[in-house]
Amino acid sequence: MHHTQTAVAPASRQLRSFGAIRVLMIGLVALLAACAAPATPPRPKLTLAWVTKSLGNPVFDHGYRGAQQKALELSRDGPYEVELITVGPIAADAVEQTRVLDDLIARRVDGIAVSCNDPTACSDPIDRAVAAGIPVMTWDSDAPESDRFTFLSIDNYAAGRKAAELLIQAIGPTGAVAIITGVPGGLNLEQRVSGFRDVIAGYPEITIVAEVATNEDISRGVQGVEDVMQAHPELRGWFFAGMWPLFADRGAMPLWEQATRSGRLKTVSFDTLPLQLELVRDGYLTALIGQKYWGWGYDSIQILYDKVTERRQFPPFIDTGMDIVTARNVEAMLRAWETNDFQTPLPPP
Amino acid sequence: MSDQHNPPAIRATLEPERPAPPQAGRARPKPLRALAGRQELLVLGLLLLAGIVLSLRSENFLQPTNLLNLARGVSWFAISALGVSMVILIGGIDLSVGAVMALAGLVCALALQAGTPLPLAIGAGLLSGTGVGMANGLLVGQLNLPPFIVTLGTMGLARGLALGLTGGAPVRELPASFRMLGQGDLRLAGVTLPLPLLAMVTMALLVSLLLHQTVLGRYIYTLGRDEQALRVAGVATTRIKITVYTFSGLLAACGGIIMTAWLGVAAPTAAEGYELDIIAAAVIGGTSLFGGEGSVLGVVLGTLLMLTVRNGMVMLGLPAYWQLSTIGAMILAVVLIDYLRRRRLTHG
Repeated sequence: MHHTQTAVAPASRQLRSFGAIRVLMIGLVALLAACAAPATPPRPKLTLAWVTKSLGNPVFDHGYRGAQQKALELSRDGPYEVELITVGPIAADAVEQTRVLDDLIARRVDGIAVSCNDPTACSDPIDRAVAAGIPVMTWDSDAPESDRFTFLSIDNYAAGRKAAELLIQAIGPTGAVAIITGVPGGLNLEQRVSGFRDVIAGYPEITIVAEVATNEDISRGVQGVEDVMQAHPELRGWFFAGMWPLFADRGAMPLWEQATRSGRLKTVSFDTLPLQLELVRDGYLTALIGQKYWGWGYDSIQILYDKVTERRQFPPFIDTGMDIVTARNVEAMLRAWETNDFQTPLPPP
Repeated sequence: MSDQHNPPAIRATLEPERPAPPQAGRARPKPLRALAGRQELLVLGLLLLAGIVLSLRSENFLQPTNLLNLARGVSWFAISALGVSMVILIGGIDLSVGAVMALAGLVCALALQAGTPLPLAIGAGLLSGTGVGMANGLLVGQLNLPPFIVTLGTMGLARGLALGLTGGAPVRELPASFRMLGQGDLRLAGVTLPLPLLAMVTMALLVSLLLHQTVLGRYIYTLGRDEQALRVAGVATTRIKITVYTFSGLLAACGGIIMTAWLGVAAPTAAEGYELDIIAAAVIGGTSLFGGEGSVLGVVLGTLLMLTVRNGMVMLGLPAYWQLSTIGAMILAVVLIDYLRRRRLTHG
């Protein structure tokens, strides 16, 4: 089930479903690259690989477009012809990702930016790449024990703290609140939740009555929210460390919707996908904390480029910052998604 | 609530062939022994226990809204479990059920998005599941391939198809008429009946009829106990296998479509890993993985127990890490109690 997709050119949706064709295409491209090497290359070529956790995730698609944009800009303005390779396992699978990375080492790419499915499983192939002279950076999800030169990401702990502050702003310093997380043990999520808990700990009148793990499954998320709403009708606030229950349409969480519409319940959620932005606009969500999906691609490729071409040094952690969206600036963020312009700063929340 | 779930007709379960009761010894009234010998009763007892504990610990557990919420979640899960338990009855296994649920929901949602009328879209979804089920049946029945591997393969195929059809993105904005099927209620004389619950009861009755009132049903039980005997008697076991796997695909598709309607979103990653939950629910309800033993009522009760415990743990605010272990421990406990009970029956 886990096949690797190599999207040398932006792959169309249809192509994705045909593994065999894909494999053929990879072979063909490799063959062309091997045979048709031009006798006198007009410009030196730089091949940078951008590796995701999985394919088909809208936020990664978005980062991919950012990476593509940056590759175009660099090719246009610089001395190199920058070729971008985007790859990733179909499902978020650590073993399959290892294979993807080894393929890239074999292809002798000039640099790799990867979001790791598993910090440990990712370390070995990263070290193999670095040993082969290929600089590697991580983005979104790190492999801290590896030889990667930097990690570009939101500060998840700070983001969790910010979520708590936004929620307290909305509900005041008293009442019961609850948390939705994904797979128990996931590092990013644990950091968000611990940031949230640390701020709440400073408010003795606020109690966290439940923390529900969804296993990143929509129906488990929906059931979890409704179960907690049932057990604690007095609930004042929710922190969704990921947006799983929000994928479900209106009507799936009647208790949550009812309490929200009455104005008693406020929800702060991670991520700023259009469907969540619409929920902010319609008054169902109080605030969103967004990662810089576009920057995952756009900034990573710039950092890799500087590393490869100028041997520039980077600190081990680069904070991307975060987008905070409330009813006050939600329209601007919706426009950003429509126009694909994520470089114009958002108005204050 | 449980009386809504289990109308008397479902209780008509086929009493599996039990070892002959020990002739002599401690006189235990016979009817009582017959009752105590049923795993359904054990599960019912555990269910009552869970209900009592939960209603004591949380005054909101017995609220109608919670029970309706629970009923909705149980319905689509149980419908899928009915199909899998039929497969287990003939001594097989169906691992493709979770992927089929996702695929059927997705096919239905894509058809709706393309403007297909509701009945046709549902038909398309059911057809996709039936197709996967029939493929399982042909490979297992006709070619005699091991069901574990066959359904593992079709699980990958169906999941990959679901991902490929959508490029991995969930399909949203489904028509309200479709969502009604999962979210709507039927109000009869002041009683609120969620539509998924009605669908589940209907399916349970039909499967029960099939298993106990038809020749095919009798063959299904016999096939799981002694395939050789059926063959010797000249029964085409291949056809029975194909039929049962096809039914499993159809019922999984039905459960998947109701799940999709309830959520209002079809995700290609939906129901990932549910096959194991569903098999566990069937086993808790007394379906034997060795084949030939199990009942519709047991499957429904097993599903109900599993989801009640899960619901209860969230309501009581139990930490997420421990919830997983609790379900695991419960599966082991029920199977262990069943084992001990059987041993006592055989050894006196």
